[in-house]
Amino acid sequence: MGDISTAAAGSPPILSVNNIEVVYDNVFLAVKGVSLDVAEGGVVALLGANGAGKSTTLKAISGLLKPERGAVTRGDIAFRGESLLGLDPPDRVRLGLVHVLEGRRVFEHLTPRENLIAATSMHRDRRGVKDLIDRTFTWFPRLAERAKAKAGYLSGGEQQMLAIGRALMTEPKLLMLDEPSLGLSPLLVDEIFDILRKVNAEAGVAVLLVEQNAAAALDFVDQAYLVDNGRVVMGGAAATVKANPDVQAAYLGGGHQVDYAAVKHYRQRRRWLS
Amino acid sequence: MDLALFGELIINGALVGLMYALAALGIVLVYRTSGLANLAQGAIAMLGGYLGWITIAWLGLHPILGALVAMVVMFAIGLGIERTTLRPLIGQPVIMIIMVTIGLEILMRGLVPGLLGSGVKRLDLGISDAPLFLGDMLINRTYLVSAGIALIIILATLALFNSRIGIMLRAVSDDQTASWSVGIRVEWAIAFAWGLAAVTGTAAGILWGGSQGVDWTLSLLLIKALAIAILGGLDSIVGVVVAGLIVGVAEAIASGLFDPLVGGGTRDIVACVIILATLLVKPEGLFGREHIERV
Repeated sequence: MGDISTAAAGSPPILSVNNIEVVYDNVFLAVKGVSLDVAEGGVVALLGANGAGKSTTLKAISGLLKPERGAVTRGDIAFRGESLLGLDPPDRVRLGLVHVLEGRRVFEHLTPRENLIAATSMHRDRRGVKDLIDRTFTWFPRLAERAKAKAGYLSGGEQQMLAIGRALMTEPKLLMLDEPSLGLSPLLVDEIFDILRKVNAEAGVAVLLVEQNAAAALDFVDQAYLVDNGRVVMGGAAATVKANPDVQAAYLGGGHQVDYAAVKHYRQRRRWLS
Repeated sequence: MDLALFGELIINGALVGLMYALAALGIVLVYRTSGLANLAQGAIAMLGGYLGWITIAWLGLHPILGALVAMVVMFAIGLGIERTTLRPLIGQPVIMIIMVTIGLEILMRGLVPGLLGSGVKRLDLGISDAPLFLGDMLINRTYLVSAGIALIIILATLALFNSRIGIMLRAVSDDQTASWSVGIRVEWAIAFAWGLAAVTGTAAGILWGGSQGVDWTLSLLLIKALAIAILGGLDSIVGVVVAGLIVGVAEAIASGLFDPLVGGGTRDIVACVIILATLLVKPEGLFGREHIERV
């Protein structure tokens, strides 16, 4: 497999995943060789079909494989030049990366405000926590309106915003999102991506996004990687990936002129790559 | 029955109930953070009572200082119990954890009196025995002071659970993986809950030991504590207070009404009846956490 690193030349990447392999339960090989870079302040998408290994890759980076009895068995993950392997998730959060889990996973019996406070264990200073809450409510004004309700009763979109806002309370340098558009209306997806754009611009937070909704994701990111069957099969600038006929056919629906020959060609190439 | 006697039963029952509630608090604290059943709470209270006896009666410390020392030591023991017996069981079926806490309970019941002597030990907390009259009713002064202390500790715990640390503990009880993902050290949170459970158990053991004497029977507080925790809803601190009052008063009335008829012993049945009745009629308890279901 060729080198498909996409980090901008010159600045070292904030996150660098180098040919990792992930095994669940000591037998099931879920990720066979994923390499990717996220530049400082970069916005990167990890695209691919269901079960391709995208979520597993994110969990390998955040360290959340452990409760699912998964482990990184080969390769390395470096964050700002430091290897993450062997660190527990709370330690990784303290280094500046945070993972918004698939399915939102808000603390249902806590209010939105308490949800935000729960994510401040790394902050010593009380005033700082208050400022962070204010900052989050400015980004997500809808949450401020529902600050007193229990999070379990918020709508799906509000819960997704809360999950993202909660993650931002840790003051990350890298925000990883797993399927933030899942089950939300296109309008809400746009709203959430708009907020993420603002967060990226205002706070300089790099974003690594896992999405099945490739069309929405490619409009949002600078760089994209295509994961298939546990491997990265393509990587590059979002526009390049979007223009690729294989991607057009397999992930973007290809409009009305689906070219079955191209799909076949892509499938063959995929087989050759894996 | 005359009214003064009845009022006396209710008031003294309520005071005893608050002391029981303090023991039950340890079960609720552990359940609230980790979702685990702490069936070793009776033995923890007993061990705390023995430690209180060591510091107060043996070393001769002032009762308050002695109790504080015992609570600090028990906090460490609580952390140790979590670290050595519960953390290795993470991911194991619930039944394993229940068996381990029961095993711990039985082990301590046997071991501690075995080492320190099984005779009843007198623990003098310095509360005067002089009767206290409220109108015609005779109030047990030891119970009154003990219940006051119990209530203060319960309220302090309630305040703690609304603080930043408490919010994190509640977050852990809601979703451990999500808590981990936002930087909460879940293992520490659970260990901390066990430490707190040991502290409240110790307070209960010392207060109860102060009025009954210290011996292995302190661990029978487990049954009352379980009844209260289940009736109160397992994860509600307010529920513990209300359920504690209910169990205490019910016990007092039962023993006042039925003991003369059947020759005594009804007091100990009440807790078991309450456990059974709660599980049959309202298994989630009076203040159990609502199950959130969105449509």
